[in-house]
Amino acid sequence: MRQLKIGTSWVRGVVGEALTPELVVNFASAFGTWCDGRPVVIGRDTRRSSPALRAATIAGLLSTGCEVIDLGVTPTPVVSFAVRELGIGGGISITGSHNDARWNALKFLGPDGALINQVKTEELLDIYHGSKFLLASWDQLRPVDTCVDWLLDRYLEHLLSVLDVDAIRQRTSRVLVDFCNGTCAPLASRFLAQLGCTLLQLNEEPSGEFAHAPAPTASNMRQLASLMRCVQADFGVAINIDGDRIGFVTADGIALSEEYALPLTARIRLRRRAGPVVTNLSSSRMVEAVAAHFGQQVIRTSVGESHVIDQGLAEGAVLAGEGSGGVAILPSTMTFDALLTLGFILEELTLTGKSLNSAVAELPHYHMRKRHLPCPPNVVYRVLDRFRVYYEDSNPDCTDGIRLAWPDAWLHIRASNTEPILRIIAEAETPARADEIMEQAVTYARRAVFGHVEV
Amino acid sequence: MPRQYSLKISVSGVRGIVGESLTPQLVASYAAAFGNYCGAGPIFIGSDTRPSGEMIKQAAIAGLLSVGCTPVDVGIVPIPALMLHVREAGAFGGIGITASHNPIEWNALKFIGAGGITLRANQAAELTDLYHQGVYTRVNAHEMTEPRTDGSTLERHRNAVISVVDEASIRARHFKVAVDCCNGAGSVATPAFLRALGCEVLEMHTDPFKPFPRDPEPLPENITGLCELVTRSGADVGFAQDGDGDRLAIVNELGQPLGEDATVALAVYHWLKTHPGPVVVNSATTRMVDDIAQQYGCPVYRTPVGEVHVVERMLQCRATIGGEGNGGVILPAVNPCRDSYVAMALVLEALAAEPVRISELRSRLSHYVMLRDRLLCEPRDIAPLLKLIRGSYQGQDLDFTDGIKVLWDNKWLQVRQSQTEPILRLTAEAPTEAEARALLTEALTILSP
Repeated sequence: MRQLKIGTSWVRGVVGEALTPELVVNFASAFGTWCDGRPVVIGRDTRRSSPALRAATIAGLLSTGCEVIDLGVTPTPVVSFAVRELGIGGGISITGSHNDARWNALKFLGPDGALINQVKTEELLDIYHGSKFLLASWDQLRPVDTCVDWLLDRYLEHLLSVLDVDAIRQRTSRVLVDFCNGTCAPLASRFLAQLGCTLLQLNEEPSGEFAHAPAPTASNMRQLASLMRCVQADFGVAINIDGDRIGFVTADGIALSEEYALPLTARIRLRRRAGPVVTNLSSSRMVEAVAAHFGQQVIRTSVGESHVIDQGLAEGAVLAGEGSGGVAILPSTMTFDALLTLGFILEELTLTGKSLNSAVAELPHYHMRKRHLPCPPNVVYRVLDRFRVYYEDSNPDCTDGIRLAWPDAWLHIRASNTEPILRIIAEAETPARADEIMEQAVTYARRAVFGHVEV
Repeated sequence: MPRQYSLKISVSGVRGIVGESLTPQLVASYAAAFGNYCGAGPIFIGSDTRPSGEMIKQAAIAGLLSVGCTPVDVGIVPIPALMLHVREAGAFGGIGITASHNPIEWNALKFIGAGGITLRANQAAELTDLYHQGVYTRVNAHEMTEPRTDGSTLERHRNAVISVVDEASIRARHFKVAVDCCNGAGSVATPAFLRALGCEVLEMHTDPFKPFPRDPEPLPENITGLCELVTRSGADVGFAQDGDGDRLAIVNELGQPLGEDATVALAVYHWLKTHPGPVVVNSATTRMVDDIAQQYGCPVYRTPVGEVHVVERMLQCRATIGGEGNGGVILPAVNPCRDSYVAMALVLEALAAEPVRISELRSRLSHYVMLRDRLLCEPRDIAPLLKLIRGSYQGQDLDFTDGIKVLWDNKWLQVRQSQTEPILRLTAEAPTEAEARALLTEALTILSP
C-alpha cells in the first residue's frame, strides 16, 4: 500500500514511498496559490527527512510568488504565532508530529494561525487536484527570509504575558522534560528559565533519531518515569516532536495517561476565565466534571485538532483540547501548545500549593480502554453502519463514527484519520463496566469486519 | 511564425522560462533522475545571479535528497568554478543553475558528471530516459542526509587558473582592467580574481543582487558601455562576461570590441607558443584558429557546435587548448570546460610576456569578417532546406560536421539547425565584409526563393 494520508489541514505520508518531493512541491504550490501569493511562514521538525521537505516546500511556495519566512527547526505553535504576529497569508509546519520517524507531513495553517478547517482544506485540495497553480514570472519571485530569531523572542514574551510569572517563579519547580529529540528543547529551556524553574533535560538532542515513539502516552513515557525517582523533580513532562502534545509523570514515577493534560489545564483556565470547553468525542469525561464544577459547558466535536479549535473559535471557547495531550488556550494560542500547557500546569500547582499527584487525585477517576482493529478503508463505512444498527437502542451519535453515551460510561468507534484501522475507545466509572463495554464492541467489530463468522 | 515552446531538454541540460515551463515540479523530478544517475553521494549545486536561482535550487535540493544524494550548496559561482570543484572534491556530480547567455526570464539546469565534465551526449540521453521513466529510486527517511554548504569554490578556482600562468610577470605590469560582469556570477569572482593578478580593476555591472543590465551575450552591440569605460579610463584592456562566466569578449585599449571569436584565437595564439599540440574548435569557429595552428604546425579538429562535443574531442586527441567562437576558451590544464577566467589569464600573460598592447596583438592575427543571420523555420522544414543548400553547392568542398559548411580557400559559409530555437543559423566568414555579406545573401536567396 502506498502510505499517503490526506486529512483536514494536513497531508502525511511515508518518506521515500508516497511522500515524494514532487508531491510536496505540488502541495506547497497549491497552498501558495490558496494564499494568493502572500508571504508564508514555514518551520520544520528534527526528522531526517525534514530538510528535503523544507526544500521542496520553499521551491513550491516561491514558484507561486510567495515570500517565504523560514523559521528553521521550530515547534508548530511558533509557526502559528509567527503567522499571526506578521499578519501574513499562512504557514506550513513540516512535521510528522506524533508519527514515527518514517513518516513526515505538512500541516497547513491559515492566516488566523489555526490549522485550516475542513472547508479551507477542501479549497486547497481543489486547487491541488486542478493543478493550475499561480506561476510567478522571474521578476515577481520573492526571497527567502531566514533572519527571524526575533520572532522566537516575541513568542516567549507572548507565553509569559498570559501566565502569572511572579507566582510561578516563587515556587522554583524542578521539572524533568523528555523532548524525544524533537524541536522544543531550546525554547523550553529559555521558557522555564524565565519562569524560575530548573529544567532537567532528557532526549534533548535535536537529532531526529527518536529515543522512543513520539506520542506522549503512558507507555512511551517509561524511560521518563523510570528516571523520576533518581532526579528528585517535582514532576516529569514528555513533549512530542513539534511541541503540540504533552504528557505528565508524577514525582514518584507514575506515568499519567495523556488524557490528563486537558482536565488539569481546564481547572486553572476555567477558574480564571469563564467559557465553554471544546473537546472531541473520544476524550475522557474528566473534563466534563471539571467544567461542571465551574458551571461551564463541554462541546464535543469530531476527532482532530482543526475540528476542536475551529469549533472552539466558533463557540467562543476558552479552552480546546483532545485526549491525545494537545491543549490550546483560546484565544492566546491558535494551535495546541505544549509549552503553554506546561506553563498553566506550573501555575496551577504553584497557586494551589499542590503536588501533581494530589491535583490528579482530585479529578474523578474513570477507567478507559482503547483498542484498535485492522480495517480495510473500503469497508469502513459498512462496518460503522452495522455498529449503528447493533446499538440502535442506545441512541448513537454519528458525528464521527459511532458514539454511545450511558450515564456511567461511553463508547466511541471510529476509523483512524491516519491509519487503516478502526479505533474503539470506552470509558466507564468501574473497570468491570469498561471491560464489559469494550468486549461487546470488539465482538461486534469482528463480526462487522470479518463478516458473520466470529473470529 | 512557428509557435515557440519554451521548454528545451537537450544535450546541454534542461532550459525553460520561469513562471511558464521551468516549474519546481519539473526541476525536482529531473534532479531526482540525476541523483539516481549519479548515485547516492555528494552533488554540488551552484547558481548564477538570476532571481529564480533560489527557487530552482531548493527544488533541485529536494529532488536530490529524496534519492539519497547529499546536495552541497556552493552559492553563486561561475560555472567553470563549479565544475572544477566537482572534480577536485571527487563529487558524484554537479548541477549548475544557469541559463548562461539567455535573457533573465530563462533559467536552466546544467548537469555535470563526476570528473567535472558536462554530461556527454550519450550520458545526457540516459539521464533523459531516466527522467521520462518517471520512477525514481527513493530512499527512506533513515537514509536521507542533510544539505551541506561549501564556500571554497571561488578560491580553489582562482588558484587553479593562476597556477597555469606566469603570475609574477602579470603582477609586475599592474594592468588596468575594465570588467563588465553583467551582474552575473562573475560579479562575485572576477574583481577579486583580477586583483589577485595585481590588476587595477574598474568594475561595471558587478552587483549580483541586480538584474542583468544588458543582454548577457557578450556581443559587441551589448557591451558598448564597457567600450566607453575603457576609453574614458585609459584601461589596458576590457573584459566582458556572460551570465555564468564561461564566455569572454575582449575590448582593446582603444575601446574597440575585438569580436567574441577573437577570444579563442588570441588564447590559442598565446598558448601554442609554449604548449604545441592539437587544437579543437567547433565547426562555426573562425578560420583565424586554422591560420594560427598552421603557423605552429599543429592540427585543428572541428566538431559540431556545443561545448560538450568540443570537450569530448579534446580529451580524445589530447588537445592542449580548444574552444568555441562564441568566446569560450577551454584549457584542459585547468578544466575541461569553457572558462572565461582562463581566457583572461592567458590574454594578460600574453600582454605581459613581450610586453605588447592588446590592439597590436590582435593585429598580428589574420583578419576575417564573420557575419551571421537566422531564418525562422518549422522543424519539419529544416531537412528539406539543408538539402536545398547541399544541392546548390554541389561540387564545392562540403563539410557535414554540423549542418552544411561550404568551404573555399579563404572563406566559408555554414547553414545549421539551432539546438535551442526553431531556426536555421547562417554564418559566413571571409576576408572582407562585402564577401561575407555576398555569401549570406546567396544562401538566403537559395533558402527563400
